[in-house]
Amino acid sequence: MMLILMIVLAIIGGAALSVQAALNGRLGGNVGVFKSAFLTFSVGALVTALLIFFFEPNHSVTLMDVPKWQLLGALCGVPYIVIMVVAVQRIGTAVATVAVIFGQLSMSVLIDNFGWLGNEVITLSGSRIAALVCLAIALYFIYSSNKSEPKAA
Amino acid sequence: MQILLILIVVLGGMGLSVEAGLLGPLGGQVGELWATLSIFGVGAALTFFLMLFFSPRNSPSFFSQPPLLLVGGILGPIYVVVLTVVTPVIGVAMTMIGILAGQISKSLIIDHYGLFGTTERKIDNKRIIALVFIIAALFFMAKG
Repeated sequence: MMLILMIVLAIIGGAALSVQAALNGRLGGNVGVFKSAFLTFSVGALVTALLIFFFEPNHSVTLMDVPKWQLLGALCGVPYIVIMVVAVQRIGTAVATVAVIFGQLSMSVLIDNFGWLGNEVITLSGSRIAALVCLAIALYFIYSSNKSEPKAA
Repeated sequence: MQILLILIVVLGGMGLSVEAGLLGPLGGQVGELWATLSIFGVGAALTFFLMLFFSPRNSPSFFSQPPLLLVGGILGPIYVVVLTVVTPVIGVAMTMIGILAGQISKSLIIDHYGLFGTTERKIDNKRIIALVFIIAALFFMAKG
């Protein structure tokens, strides 16, 4: 039950991300990519700060206490924005989309398998490999769908 | 040149998973919202500098844009909070596949009706097949 709830949450997160990408794509076209990225992050920071003020319970550990490398998440997310801007024009949306998803999946399987960054170890089992095969097929269809419609994101 | 660019894009995708991998344990220690703030705080600082130095000099103001285009920032935290809550329970890989399923479903629904000002595109069979395989992948992942 917990598992299904979490998967549903992840799907909602993906949908939110997609709507955001659609809006930001249009905004970026009007005001420039860095300006729209800055708006996303600064509004995001404000919203999160408000939520913290009113809803976050106290924790004995704060952001100042954890090792600094744990705070580097944004350094891994921001380059993605820049890379996509540069790459999509040169290699096309279809190839770029497949390359991003390939990178995401291979790295996430590695993180799970070795328990990197303090995550729980989830070993690469037979059914996980079957899942990756399904994804490879899905990637092929995403690729050909994007290819036939070059404007798709 | 092409190959190099593709490799860089793959690295960019890997970065997204590393971000999710960092967020889960961090959220467990300091709380989900604080972990989310670390992403948006550092991200806002970084993109501020990018905007300051690399933005086109004569780009139009945010206030000349339709307000709807500016709400992307409100949706971003949903994604990051979800990453923080979900990864410790189901792992990074399954989280990423769930996110992917959400993105593809979105492209089927939003693009089909042309919601949020996107260009209207009729449902595309290839994307439906892709979604079916992604759901199958989620099923296999859930099996362990």
